[in-house]
Amino acid sequence: MKIRGTVAAALASAGILLAGWQTGTQAGGISTVASSTTAAGTTGSTGTGSSGTGSSGTGPTGSTGSSGSTGSAGSSSSSGSSGSTSSSGSSNSSASGTYKGNTVQTRFGPVQVQITVASGKITDVTALQLTNTDGKSIQISNRAAPLLRSKVLAAQSANIQTVSGATITSDAYLTSLQAAIDAANL
Amino acid sequence: MQQTSDANAATSTLKARTFQCMGTVIGLTMPVDSPTEGQPGFDELGAATAVVERLFRDLDETFSLYRPDSEASKLARGDVKLPQASVQMRERYAEAHEWRLRTEGAFTPERPDGVLDLSGIIKGHAIREAGTSLLALGRRDWCLNAGGDVLVSGSPRPGSAEPWKAGVVDPADRRTLITGYALGGTNRHAAIATSGSAERGEHIWRVGNDGEFIQVSVAAADIVTADVLATAIVAGGTRMLNRAADHWDVAVLAIRADGSMLATPGFQSS
Amino acid sequence: MNTHLLPASPAASSSGRPELSTTKRPPRGWFARQYRQRMLRTDLLTVIAWSSVAAAIALWLADGGATNITSPASLFTAAGIVAGLAGMDLVLLMLLLAARIPFIDRTIGHDRALEFHGKLGKPSLYLLLAHGVLLAIGYGMAEGLDPVSESINLWVQVPDMWLAFVSMALFIAVVVTSLVAVRRRFPYEFWYVVHLLTYAAVATSIPHQFSVGGLFAAGTWQRWYWLSICIYTGSALVYFRILEPVLATARHQLTVARVERVAPGVVNIVMRGRKLNQLAGTGGRFFIWRFLAPGMWWHPHPFSLSAEPVFSGSDGQGTLRVTVRGLGNGSAQLLRLRKGTKVALEGPYGLLSTAARTKNKMVMIGAGIGITPLRALLETTPFAPGEATVLLRGHTEQELYLGSEILDLCQARGGRLFHLIGPRSRTQSTWLPEDAVRNGYSLTSYVPDIADADVYVCGPAVWAANVIADAGKAGVPEEQIHHERFDW
Repeated sequence: MKIRGTVAAALASAGILLAGWQTGTQAGGISTVASSTTAAGTTGSTGTGSSGTGSSGTGPTGSTGSSGSTGSAGSSSSSGSSGSTSSSGSSNSSASGTYKGNTVQTRFGPVQVQITVASGKITDVTALQLTNTDGKSIQISNRAAPLLRSKVLAAQSANIQTVSGATITSDAYLTSLQAAIDAANL
Repeated sequence: MQQTSDANAATSTLKARTFQCMGTVIGLTMPVDSPTEGQPGFDELGAATAVVERLFRDLDETFSLYRPDSEASKLARGDVKLPQASVQMRERYAEAHEWRLRTEGAFTPERPDGVLDLSGIIKGHAIREAGTSLLALGRRDWCLNAGGDVLVSGSPRPGSAEPWKAGVVDPADRRTLITGYALGGTNRHAAIATSGSAERGEHIWRVGNDGEFIQVSVAAADIVTADVLATAIVAGGTRMLNRAADHWDVAVLAIRADGSMLATPGFQSS
Repeated sequence: MNTHLLPASPAASSSGRPELSTTKRPPRGWFARQYRQRMLRTDLLTVIAWSSVAAAIALWLADGGATNITSPASLFTAAGIVAGLAGMDLVLLMLLLAARIPFIDRTIGHDRALEFHGKLGKPSLYLLLAHGVLLAIGYGMAEGLDPVSESINLWVQVPDMWLAFVSMALFIAVVVTSLVAVRRRFPYEFWYVVHLLTYAAVATSIPHQFSVGGLFAAGTWQRWYWLSICIYTGSALVYFRILEPVLATARHQLTVARVERVAPGVVNIVMRGRKLNQLAGTGGRFFIWRFLAPGMWWHPHPFSLSAEPVFSGSDGQGTLRVTVRGLGNGSAQLLRLRKGTKVALEGPYGLLSTAARTKNKMVMIGAGIGITPLRALLETTPFAPGEATVLLRGHTEQELYLGSEILDLCQARGGRLFHLIGPRSRTQSTWLPEDAVRNGYSLTSYVPDIADADVYVCGPAVWAANVIADAGKAGVPEEQIHHERFDW
């Protein structure tokens, strides 16, 4: 009698695990845009991301490349980020444009990311809405992300009143931008 | 030595005065009344600058390692021991040490040769004290730049919410800017400091990495935090960058030798 | 040595004795069928228990958890998550086993349920510890931190995590104090209070399960499942451990009617109440009694009724009786219970009853105060004349509590009765008196066909273990031996 119970329990458990596994592998679809993520330059990160897609996408701070911030990617993958981050249909590797990814789960909460693709390479990753607005998501959203020159806050000498740079000697000051500003004083 | 200059402006006029101290140039920029009011506005700037200059020189006398008779040099030679040092010295040492703990050693006042070098924190401290003095003098709108570290108060256009705009130099070309940052106004950050190995950076001791960043700019609510963190991130690399972003309310722009950049949201265009 | 061997005689009732229900032996095979059904229910419980653990892990699999294992860090993290899921599921199972759910009680019995409860303690703790450690390693590896720093990070930065650490500490405290080695050194009450911390441990662990990590994030079906099982467990606990006893107490309104001395240190406590018809037929099962007098109300007593309720009026009014020995801290006060004291009760629990029967024949072997539940069982359990044997063991005749009542019952119903009196045997079969063993008597001497009967054993633990060993040697299969442990 005991054997019957044990066998039945084992079979039932195995069945449930199998069902779970099946559901899990079907949910994660990997598109070629995502696969180009791993190939693309900006993502240098290896490994800690989830199935490639997760790593660049789910790190809300673009945990690509920089060694430290892969943390968010690692943790997001482990908390079951749901597969690919690129949701748009077009998986043509030569597609360009901006794609909003699925909302993925990180240990700080759900995050939605946006990736910009140009000529089949990821050129930018941004965390969009962090669906929580409490302290934990603000904290993680302050992490540094790769910045493209074109995306910096535009600044021209005509707009600023002061210049911040590494400390310069008095002599170097003479030929510096700050000196020019001070002289012209805006 | 002070240099002054006038400027043409529509409503208020920004004027600046500079002086040399601590081996660099310190500049105070303030909006003054239009020239029709004449001398009084001009004198206010002069008076304010005098106060700031006095402050800087006093600190330089005590802390400069380039003056053989400063207390710092005496400490370095061993003529004076730290417990017998002045209150000010010990206070700054304590502050520097606290930052050493907070940055897990990325920022440290101890040079590799064992000499105590507080220059990493003195400039920030001087700016901080100068800012306090300026506020005490009743000056609400000003921008103080000491060798690339900036602290502001108020607005370049008094009465408006317009922030001061600080540009960040491009380490590849000192004469151009890579980006800018808004200080004061409605922004909660009033200070920005930049550290780098591009120029004089003796107080940045490498912490076990290969000099990942060549320039780091940190914007924060106070100048000492910005200054220390900028130094710490240059020394500590990405790990320190993440730590700073996690634990302090700062905006960071970090530039690598190859020109690539990392930036927290504050430096990114939205 | 005194041995009464009663001839099998047809059941007959005479005036002066309580009216016996004409409990005719049910048709052949009825008990066997009852047994089969109980075994099916047992298997069902086994399947449910294991399936729940599998389901907990399947939740994570269905979320694509396994496909995210791409590096050592994510492997550690995945293992940590799975350990946490399995651990929490085991904790919920433990709570359900201790919740006194009637279905579980009448399938495996309350004492076995608590035995499993105890067995799951260490595995669940190990899994929860693994959960913490593996996640600290995994998250840490992903962020370039050592596990300790990562744990500190989690504590400091992630909301609800400090509660999870508190929960871990409480769990450790509960399990450590429950280790037999530790438990022995402290009074029972201390252990019990610490054990109650389990509720705090579970409560403090719940917030982080729903707020940290993505598996149970808002909107996922996994969240609904997890919420449901937590709520179900909580409800079962509240209903069966708190609400039902309160309702039962209010329903029966028991008060102490009188306390009669039966033997030195042993008394009958007779309680008056109403709607007692609902408590009929519970012979052999036990209730948990709390006598609501100052200094006594917090002490729960597991006693069986020692006789069927005696009805005296309509609405099921009548009296109940328990027979207790005044040993131990709490029980000594029982000897001096005052009339009119209100009584709170929980139950009935236990499988030492007709529900456990598998055969038509039965044997009841009791010693000391263990005789009393058998007395009640004897009154109601169905058997045909000659199919039941009762063995009563005591050092003296006086120790055969309720002996005369049992004699009457056996005479009336046609059961065989043996009194086994005298000092304990030194050699094997130490449960028998010295004289009996010396004269060559053994268990099968008294009950030759014992292998074909249900054997109910009730008495001090060591003595009972000895009886059971002998029964096993006599060929009684394990499922026919019914013994209730009271030392839980």
